[in-house]
Amino acid sequence: MGIQTGNVKIGAKTATQKTDFKSGNEMAALAAKQIYYHLMGFYPITPSTEIAETIDAMYAEGQHHIKMIPAEGEHSAAGICYGASTAGGRVLNATSAQGLLYSLEQLPVQSGTRFPMVLNIVTRSINGPLDIRGDHSDLMFMLNTGWIILMARDPQAAYDMNIMAPRIGEHEDVRLPVAIAMDGFFTSHQKRRVEYFEKDEDVRAFVGPYRELQSAVTPERPLTIGPYMNDPDLINSKYQLHLAMEAAREVIPRVFAEFAELSGRSYPLVDSYRMEDAQSALFILNSAAETAREAVDGFREKGEAVGIVSPNVLRPFPVAGIQENLRAVSSLLIAERADCYGGNGGNLSFEVKAALHDLPENKTRCLTRIYGLGGRDFYVEDAEELLEQAVRARDEGEADGLKSFDYHGVTPGDPQLDLEPREEPIPEAESALGLIEVKVDPETGRLKVKTPGVREMTRIPRRIAPGHGACPGCGIFPNLNQFFKGIEGHVVVLFQTGCGMVVTTAYPYSSHRVTYIHNLFQNGGATLSGVVEMYRERQRRGEIPSEQQITFVMVSGDGGMDIGMGSALGAALRDHGMIIVEYDNEGYMNTGNQLSYSTPLGTRTTTSGIGPAEKGKSFQHKDMPQIMAATDIKYVATSVEGFGRDLVVKAAKAQWYANRGHLAYVKLLSVCPLSWRSKENLGTKVMRAAVDCNFFPLYEIEQGFTTINYDPETRKKKAALADWLNMMPRSRHMTTPEYAEEYRSLEDEVERRWQRLKARAESDRL
Amino acid sequence: MAVQLPRTNKSGFYEIRMESVGGLGANVAGKILGEAGVLAMGLNGANFASYGAEKKGTPVKSFVRFCAPDQQVRTASPVEFPHLLAILHESLIRAGIAQEGITHDTTVVVNSTHPAEKIRQDLGMCGGALGVIDASGIAAAEKSRANMVMLGAMTRASGFLDQQAIRDAVSENLGHKYPKLLQGNLRALDRGFSELELQQFSCDLEHPDQPLRRAGPPIGYENGPMGGTIVNPGNTMEKDLSAARMGRIPLYDHDKCINCGKCEYTCPDFCYTFTDGTDHKGRRGRIFAGIDYRYCKGCLRCVEACPTEALTAGDDNEEYVAEHTTSQMKAGS
Repeated sequence: MGIQTGNVKIGAKTATQKTDFKSGNEMAALAAKQIYYHLMGFYPITPSTEIAETIDAMYAEGQHHIKMIPAEGEHSAAGICYGASTAGGRVLNATSAQGLLYSLEQLPVQSGTRFPMVLNIVTRSINGPLDIRGDHSDLMFMLNTGWIILMARDPQAAYDMNIMAPRIGEHEDVRLPVAIAMDGFFTSHQKRRVEYFEKDEDVRAFVGPYRELQSAVTPERPLTIGPYMNDPDLINSKYQLHLAMEAAREVIPRVFAEFAELSGRSYPLVDSYRMEDAQSALFILNSAAETAREAVDGFREKGEAVGIVSPNVLRPFPVAGIQENLRAVSSLLIAERADCYGGNGGNLSFEVKAALHDLPENKTRCLTRIYGLGGRDFYVEDAEELLEQAVRARDEGEADGLKSFDYHGVTPGDPQLDLEPREEPIPEAESALGLIEVKVDPETGRLKVKTPGVREMTRIPRRIAPGHGACPGCGIFPNLNQFFKGIEGHVVVLFQTGCGMVVTTAYPYSSHRVTYIHNLFQNGGATLSGVVEMYRERQRRGEIPSEQQITFVMVSGDGGMDIGMGSALGAALRDHGMIIVEYDNEGYMNTGNQLSYSTPLGTRTTTSGIGPAEKGKSFQHKDMPQIMAATDIKYVATSVEGFGRDLVVKAAKAQWYANRGHLAYVKLLSVCPLSWRSKENLGTKVMRAAVDCNFFPLYEIEQGFTTINYDPETRKKKAALADWLNMMPRSRHMTTPEYAEEYRSLEDEVERRWQRLKARAESDRL
Repeated sequence: MAVQLPRTNKSGFYEIRMESVGGLGANVAGKILGEAGVLAMGLNGANFASYGAEKKGTPVKSFVRFCAPDQQVRTASPVEFPHLLAILHESLIRAGIAQEGITHDTTVVVNSTHPAEKIRQDLGMCGGALGVIDASGIAAAEKSRANMVMLGAMTRASGFLDQQAIRDAVSENLGHKYPKLLQGNLRALDRGFSELELQQFSCDLEHPDQPLRRAGPPIGYENGPMGGTIVNPGNTMEKDLSAARMGRIPLYDHDKCINCGKCEYTCPDFCYTFTDGTDHKGRRGRIFAGIDYRYCKGCLRCVEACPTEALTAGDDNEEYVAEHTTSQMKAGS
């Protein structure tokens, strides 16, 4: 590798290209469409979601037929991709942060059993606390997975690397999955001038047809994929993987060169900027390396010989290119957007230092600076500060106050700031007023609840404070406000990731007046099980007064009840004393309206588009209350805000069971004016319409007995499904003649479930 | 042949920033500007926004930067000292957000019905060019949105953006998705262009360049509780969300109130308080105790829920709100 300046135009372009103005996510999606992948398994997660959304939008328009599978979580998305890759076709996925970590165990299987695929990693900070912005803490977990890792520093590179990735991974000497990393938001969401191949055929000719070497769907050649393999065999299988990685070292530059011929854009393995005579250098990845060029130009003008080294490939690590660029440099600052805590460097510090260590004569002094965690912006001034330190390192060291490892851009905080709580916690006397009366009916053994009127219930202190950041007219908060009116005494809440969580806890503010826990998107059921049982055990040991009573409530959106279904069912089957409340706004609204499994058939979302080739969501909505009921928990209920005292009564019953050691589940339909595009002031009416058309019947299953609490038929309120759908512009197309079949199908399903519910309510056995 | 940029910063960029709240369309406007500049006017450039979760009504910034066609865009960081600043939602000035980084070299366009001199005072603008336009009013009249009017006004104020290129980009971006609304959008755009009046203010010492706060947060590694825990329960109460409110508020008529509690029951933003007291008929019980407008986002669910006409919808009005807000904070604020 010679010393080169990155992605400058070289040679003659041999394929026609078009200039456009697009973001990294859009360019990755465009490449996917042009390559014409067989299948994409995915699960929405910021900031990578837009890739699947854009591919779906093109699908709806009939521009391609990539089979799009929205999984119920990233673990499954990665599983779908693995399965699909064993079946002999080209496979794509895109994820970020927790999504990558949740799918992590699948990734070494993908590489270890040698099935190529492509994964776009739109980098983002990993929990906790939860941060949706871009750093490289997720990417660093990829280093040991056995995947090839290509770096995309700008939207153009996001496209180019996506076009080249299948060629590299599918090469017969390689046969490895490939990840492409672009910086979350900085690259994924920033629109830039870009070029792309005008003809899809040019892309397909470059990539070539998929060659299946091993396939699960060739009955004439049965294979055992993924055997049970211990010593002494596994080490040999892994050595093969190592050899494949070594082969990739040869294959990657050849593919890059061939692509340069076609596109005029060349990518060296290691991108370098003004390194010709550099005495000090900055090693830095992706978008920040571009920003740093501005700073280098300024230093050069002042006569400082500085430059930048930034790899375009992380796996296999381009040792030779790193050595060549840095062998003559006196001092180097390795800037990393992820820490390897306690390692005294980020992961790449170790790798760069190791590469230099292999040069016996090398004396480069290396510093590490951790910067930009959680998406903290990286300005030219930041690059200047880092370069300044790199220059100082030529003849200064720890003794001069120049630490070899440190963070850049941290803030000590204002020592004058008063962090003491300003509002008093809710005294038990105020929250346990005895306004709600719950009694066991001696005849049925089931509960009877008496509540005061709405006016009197204003006496019950709100567990959530005002000042949260929900959209105008959000249904989550009337739902939770009314629910908590039915709960007396101390409360501890756990929120799974979702709108309710994000808008109430944006640091350093919290709307929660009671103790609140957020762990992850999908394991609230497990987490709260642990909280409950620790509390009970500590009470048993006398560490907490046994007469104290806390009601534990898990709050989740319907998204959390998709990805977290297993964890919630586990908690239900173990029957811990807690309540699970689901606010169901029928979509992943926190990430911008992707379909959830609760979204009704035919509904338009950003991952179930409507157009000549797609007719909204393709499968029926999940019936979560019946799934929970199948665990035989003591109490399951559905309710909506604004329906008199229905919700308060059900909350009180749920609390009675939870505080006697049983799990109760309450599902609340919740209006989302932003994504349903319904009028902000009409939330209650929209809810009522959903109930009156039997889409969302109000019922409870107590100790196995089903009771319908409100029957629109007997009340003479029965409305047509269309009445409800027409209140929400996201669904209005469903009532047009073009969607007659989808409408009928949804109507039939609603009716079938209603009739089943009635049969259950009429029977004392069902 | 690319158009000539009138002025650039030391990195060679002409930079634009839009200050808005989620839902007003600043993001779309930025995209249209960027596309027109890069694809139709021969410039190089970039466009992006400040990103958070997908919430309506939260402050948002949209950025565009242009440079000569042969220059690479290498920075991904936000626009701090804009050459052109557009403020789509006036109350962001009151919140002290919008005016950061205004210099003597900034042209400012504001969506407002107030006189330019007042806006200049509010902005603390040192000098340069200021244009005030009633973008919301024009948008309502043309069945469009404020972002279109502002786009027209920004085109005019920039002095170099090509009106036809912007028109084409609007048609390209919105014509396919909302064909019925296109004519109204174009009219709003044109009116923004033709009705903007730019006033020049000479620099005075009273108003220096607006400082930029890139300072770190007040809670840092020395004073922050470990693990990011928040130890101050319910402290969102200290926030004032009214800057992001769009348009309407509930108005309260004491004489018609029957103290039923339905407003408190339905309000997503917990603006309503009730207390023990005596009602109109001298009966003891829970009575209406006020609205804290600092949290009100103007959804008007309360007006729908109100069984009498004690609550009615009205236009957001600073004076009314100041007079009628009942603070929920124990310590007051």
